[in-house]
Amino acid sequence: MLLFILKRLGIWVPTVILVVLGVYALAFYGAGDPIKLIFMRAPGDVAYDPVRIEAIREQAGLNQPFLQQFANYLFNALRGNFGNSLVSGRSVWSMVAAAAPVSFQLGLLAITLTAIVAVPLGMIAGMNQNSRLDYAILGAALLVWAIPAYVAGPLLMVFLITVLPGAAVPYGWGGIFDARIILPLVVLSFQPIALIIRQTRAAVIEVLSEDFVRTARSKGLPESVVALRHILRPVLTPIVTQLGLIMISIVNGAIFVELVFGLPGLGRLTVSALTGSDYPIILAITVIGSFLVMASNLLVDVLYPILDPRAADTRSGR
Amino acid sequence: MTTQPATAPLRDDEPPVNLWRDAWARLSRNRLAVLSLAIIGLLAFVAVFGPWLTPFDFLSQNLDARNLSPNWVHLFGTDELGRDVFSRVVYGTRTAFVVAIVVTGIAATLGVILGALAGYLGGPFDRFVMWFTDTTMSVPQLLLVVVINASLKPPLVNFMEAQYEATKNGFFRNAIIIDFVLVFGSMALILWPPYARLIRAQVLSIRSRPYVTAARALGLTTPIIIARYIIPNAIGPLIVAISAGLGNAMVLESAFSFLGVGVNPPIPSWGNMISDGLQVWRNHAHLLAAPAIVLGVATIAFSFLGDGLNDALNPRGRK
Repeated sequence: MLLFILKRLGIWVPTVILVVLGVYALAFYGAGDPIKLIFMRAPGDVAYDPVRIEAIREQAGLNQPFLQQFANYLFNALRGNFGNSLVSGRSVWSMVAAAAPVSFQLGLLAITLTAIVAVPLGMIAGMNQNSRLDYAILGAALLVWAIPAYVAGPLLMVFLITVLPGAAVPYGWGGIFDARIILPLVVLSFQPIALIIRQTRAAVIEVLSEDFVRTARSKGLPESVVALRHILRPVLTPIVTQLGLIMISIVNGAIFVELVFGLPGLGRLTVSALTGSDYPIILAITVIGSFLVMASNLLVDVLYPILDPRAADTRSGR
Repeated sequence: MTTQPATAPLRDDEPPVNLWRDAWARLSRNRLAVLSLAIIGLLAFVAVFGPWLTPFDFLSQNLDARNLSPNWVHLFGTDELGRDVFSRVVYGTRTAFVVAIVVTGIAATLGVILGALAGYLGGPFDRFVMWFTDTTMSVPQLLLVVVINASLKPPLVNFMEAQYEATKNGFFRNAIIIDFVLVFGSMALILWPPYARLIRAQVLSIRSRPYVTAARALGLTTPIIIARYIIPNAIGPLIVAISAGLGNAMVLESAFSFLGVGVNPPIPSWGNMISDGLQVWRNHAHLLAAPAIVLGVATIAFSFLGDGLNDALNPRGRK
């Protein structure tokens, strides 16, 4: 088991480094001279003094070869130093640290909501396959799957306020116990919920034809016991593997949801960095977002053999 | 002497069945898919013939008719500059279709070539391509697009400027061209991996079939085998993927414009109209509702059509 984890890590770490390298290279060659980006954002901004600029370049290590600079970046990033913002001059880490709690709390809540809502709905749909209830759940899942967050968010906002007179505009951040979090949370959970409903339903339909379900039913067990004890367990295992996809849709969705509902999280930081061409921030957030997704993929890889012992042998390559 | 037909003769009243006819028959029985196809057809018609259909120019401003609610002259009302929202939505359809078709075309071509080669050649090339697709797919799409977009822009602008200096051709000074090239490039770069993965899986299952062995025994070269035997047999799932991909690209384009990195004003796109509408929806909800509803309907239509095509084109998946 330990060997298996070490093996996975042996593939995982180089992949993470290569992703960072790719993103860093894009910003390095695309953005152009960082000195120019910092000091000469508009033409004629600062008097051009070649001697002074070379001195700054020397001091910041920007005259070193690309790989050397990348190694420095990686080493500093590991210690939480992502450089300074080009626009505000503040350290990127402090800006990210200020925004991250909002996004992380929202993301964790969205994952929880997804688990609470989507798994039971998917079970109901799968156990009543091709009934009206099934079609209603599946249709709703397809509907919320297809509508992007920046369409659903504003439309729900308009709807809520016109239907409930006196309802507060859900704009801004007041912590997770504030009523304003409900709408962003729901919109952010739409895509993961739709995904998990469809997955659960398909898994339930597959499990229903297994012998052990027939045995359980023929023993005369009530349907609720069969559902909870015999169907839920094998259905949950493949759903855990969807964690990576859920993370992707939450990281993507957070950008829009935070913008629409005015939440001061990483998503909004990304958008403002983008409009200001603030490369260090864009770079840091991309690295962090990719790291989160890849870490959850690794977690799934490591957990899967524990949840499903049948997979242990094939996964460890034996 | 008459030659005997090799197979049993078809009955006169029964037309010969092939994949396409069969698929069409199945698709036309799926009411949702047909409705979706009709909606997409209507949108495509509007995208092509838009400029001749709209009563107003999408740019012409009428400051006497600002922020009008929907009425019979202006079907979707007017915006804060007195521009006709209906005309802008129609023109946005054009933007959406151009981007969706070009981007999906590039991404699918790239994915098909790389996926087919990876599946057919195997070995280190296959492992490299698969590792690359897996890695690309594990990075959040939108963040990757943001990075690519932010880094491709300066070199592209410099390049175009240099071309302009060299040729004095006004084409290179056109900001709209730069916008579109950026959108096409960065979107195609992140959208090809699913196609590569799909085609590779298809190739792996097809290459072991007897007719491929026979073709190889006849001495055909690898590119010809791929082009003539493998891709035609993998085309069903590819069509499903492309149908879903078109809708996906449309959403992504509007997401881009919404974030302000896509097609920039004054060229209307649903995304930048939604983004503008978001500022003023409290007083003028129609500015937000019109593009948002059209985009929502288009996405749902592509999604349902993809599902319908999937059922129609995958005979093995049927019960």
